[in-house]
Amino acid sequence: MSPAAHDAPPQDEKASSAVKRFLFERLGLESALALAAKKRVPVHRTTLFYFLGGMALFLFGIQLVTGILLSLYYKPSPDQAFESVRAIMTEIEYGWLFRSVHSWSANLLIGVLLLHILTTFMMRAYQRPREVTWITGVLLLFIFLAFGFSGYLLPWNKLAFCATGVGTEIAGTVPFVGSYVLLVARAGEHVTGDTLARFYSLHVVILPLAAFALLGVHLFLVQKHGMSVPRRVAEKHGGEKLVPSIPFVPHFLLRDMVGWYLALAILAALAALFPWELGEKADPFGPTPKGIKPEWYFLAMYQALKILPAQVGGLEWLPGKTVGVVFFGLCGLVVLAVPFLDVGAGRGGPRRILNFLAAVAVVFFIVMTAWGLTE
Amino acid sequence: MSEPLPRRNWLLHGLQASVAATVAALFYPVLRFVWPRAATSSGAADVVAPFRPDELRADPDGSWPARFTFNFGGQPCMVIRDPDGKIRAFNGKCTHLDCNVEYRPAQGDIFCNCHNGVYDLNGRNVSGPPPRPLEAFTVTIRTPEGKPGQEEIVVSRSA
Repeated sequence: MSPAAHDAPPQDEKASSAVKRFLFERLGLESALALAAKKRVPVHRTTLFYFLGGMALFLFGIQLVTGILLSLYYKPSPDQAFESVRAIMTEIEYGWLFRSVHSWSANLLIGVLLLHILTTFMMRAYQRPREVTWITGVLLLFIFLAFGFSGYLLPWNKLAFCATGVGTEIAGTVPFVGSYVLLVARAGEHVTGDTLARFYSLHVVILPLAAFALLGVHLFLVQKHGMSVPRRVAEKHGGEKLVPSIPFVPHFLLRDMVGWYLALAILAALAALFPWELGEKADPFGPTPKGIKPEWYFLAMYQALKILPAQVGGLEWLPGKTVGVVFFGLCGLVVLAVPFLDVGAGRGGPRRILNFLAAVAVVFFIVMTAWGLTE
Repeated sequence: MSEPLPRRNWLLHGLQASVAATVAALFYPVLRFVWPRAATSSGAADVVAPFRPDELRADPDGSWPARFTFNFGGQPCMVIRDPDGKIRAFNGKCTHLDCNVEYRPAQGDIFCNCHNGVYDLNGRNVSGPPPRPLEAFTVTIRTPEGKPGQEEIVVSRSA
């Protein structure tokens, strides 16, 4: 039954509330409204961290809209890909804006996701019953890294061509299955038009579907379990339920919007002042351009692979790059398994080893990235 | 409304107006982006057909070769030779639903395969659903200077 507010007699109903009444009765919007009214966000020292998820969601929305727009003119073939992106940048009205925003927003999105995952770790928000929320979040980060890698090839310029060659080569060093991974990733032994078509399909069909599925679970779980409150904050107020909070609608949502407007302004400024470069068309037989490096979020790994010796310990069967790839793969698994590795989480015990590893990982990431950028 | 607006409503309306303005501001470049590019085909009023008058004849099986239809400003320009030997040119788009029509020398008509529209050799719609005659182009046979015997077909849009 509709709530009292919607029970006004029809004769003095305005047209807008008649529409409302129609929709409420048929779609059962009361339950959605009730859910929104119930949702609250705790207020404490690190409430700011709660904005990162919403920010990532907003940037994903930007990616969807600009991505769909770019797909209206982009042509995924070695003969036309570069030319179509050049046309988007020079001929199609506002094409430069949408492509630059798409590229910049992709980078901001990865940055926000990294911060989101780091602050979630810091707040220990992954503990029971939110382990699956954490796992879907980490998988989403992997998906967005794959988005970045596959999207990078699409303009079919020299840098993209080489980066794809190097990236798939790295995947090819995975022990035992590597050579098959490389063949499937490249659709053959080399990067060709088939690779481009494959990466395009990955970028615009496969990854979006996977992202929607994971995001659906992730967001459902966030609603189901509510916002996690750090144990220390809960103890200070004498229980999780007693921590002061604000309603999500409209209080938190309006604050969210302030952030989104800020992001929009930053994206517009970046796109206008630093339009994304197109570079030169890929030449499969030309030399690799000087100073080639991947996007910043892959740079730490790239740099680490650079300094690993050709053979570890002089052992011929142990190439340095294999050691590196296996190591980073294990790192990924450790991140996925954090909720289960933090055995003291339930009773608020210390978390020394994981804290130490996380600190080392962050320092490693920052130092290697900075080194890679300045080199 | 009988009660005066609560003062806070102005803030709310201001916010709603700002969001609406943002959406409009975002929608404008989207619309300009989606709008098609200016046509790249030439708007020339007349062109020389890529074949000569003496080539115009039906295939041995009686069908009219597709190569006698060429791109004229983005539209198919269909050139035919009627049984009296007269060369004619039409816009090959059926006036019903934009399908490409076909000259059938054996039947002596121009036919649309989509909905069995029939035109006569003057381009007049004689049966089936087409509402209007085919657009006819003006055909001029020209001999280029200094090249006797190498006649060209020039097709022009009727003024």
